[in-house]
Amino acid sequence: MYGWIWRHLPGNAWVRALISLVLVLAIVYALFQYVFPWAEPLLPFNDVTVDNGMAVSR
Amino acid sequence: MRARLVVRTLSELCVTAGTLIVLLVVYVLYWTGVRADHAMDGAIDRLQDQWSAGPVAQPPATGDGTTGSTPPAHGGGDRAAAPPARGGDRPHTTGAAPGAYRDGRAFAVMYIPRFGSGWTKPVLQGTGTDVLKKGLGHYDRTAPLGAVGNFAVAGHRRTYGDPFKDVPELRPGDAVVLTDGTTWYTYRVDREPYRTRPEDIGVIDPVPAASGFRGPGRYLTLTTCEPEWGHSHRLIVWARLEATRPVSDGRPGALSG
Repeated sequence: MYGWIWRHLPGNAWVRALISLVLVLAIVYALFQYVFPWAEPLLPFNDVTVDNGMAVSR
Repeated sequence: MRARLVVRTLSELCVTAGTLIVLLVVYVLYWTGVRADHAMDGAIDRLQDQWSAGPVAQPPATGDGTTGSTPPAHGGGDRAAAPPARGGDRPHTTGAAPGAYRDGRAFAVMYIPRFGSGWTKPVLQGTGTDVLKKGLGHYDRTAPLGAVGNFAVAGHRRTYGDPFKDVPELRPGDAVVLTDGTTWYTYRVDREPYRTRPEDIGVIDPVPAASGFRGPGRYLTLTTCEPEWGHSHRLIVWARLEATRPVSDGRPGALSG
């Protein structure tokens, strides 16, 4: 998988390394900015209210 | 050759999955705290700027809400909370009527000396997931700060800055101090933390049945999750208003100890 990606990146080894680094940073950014904030409420650390964030009997 | 490719791809997938899990743990344990602390500090700074810029905007209330029911400070000591339900007496709060708080906006700052002198958190209106990422949340439809009824507040025990991490440490007599820019409210914890079921919404009633309070009063309820990392139960702390004090008279005794 990673070998396949590496072979398909353009340029010499240095350019490929640079592109790889940028790709990794972009993926980590996307995870922290979008994916984890979406996934985190599915974990059980958010349930701190007795009515689960809804107004009682609304 | 084929088998080698399969094994290599599988191993790469495992390493990738492991890295993802580590990153998620870093996010939950560390990054949510960084973001929440930043948001909470910002909210407190904004509130204090707003309060120091001028008189706090009074929500629409009867004219004597602030002046008439707040007697002149005598001797600078904390004034004992007026007994509730005294023949139609208005709450001697700054007149915040229920619903006067704006959704998702910070309106008060909470101090709990038991959690450390640096423990200060903003209280925002509402208990939605997004609100609780930025501070403590005041339950809609519970009483406003200092008023007769139950001022109920929820907060994260873990993640998002761990604001209520030490709630199990609270003991009867511990102070919970709040300010809305005009008045300091000193509540005293009434009993040890109470463990209950998630659907037990009676704990934020004006007079919670399990609290031991009898009759209407100026109460405060804190709710958070129990166990620490789980969601099977809730931990509840009740307190009652002991004293109020105009901000102009300085910080209440409970904070200087």
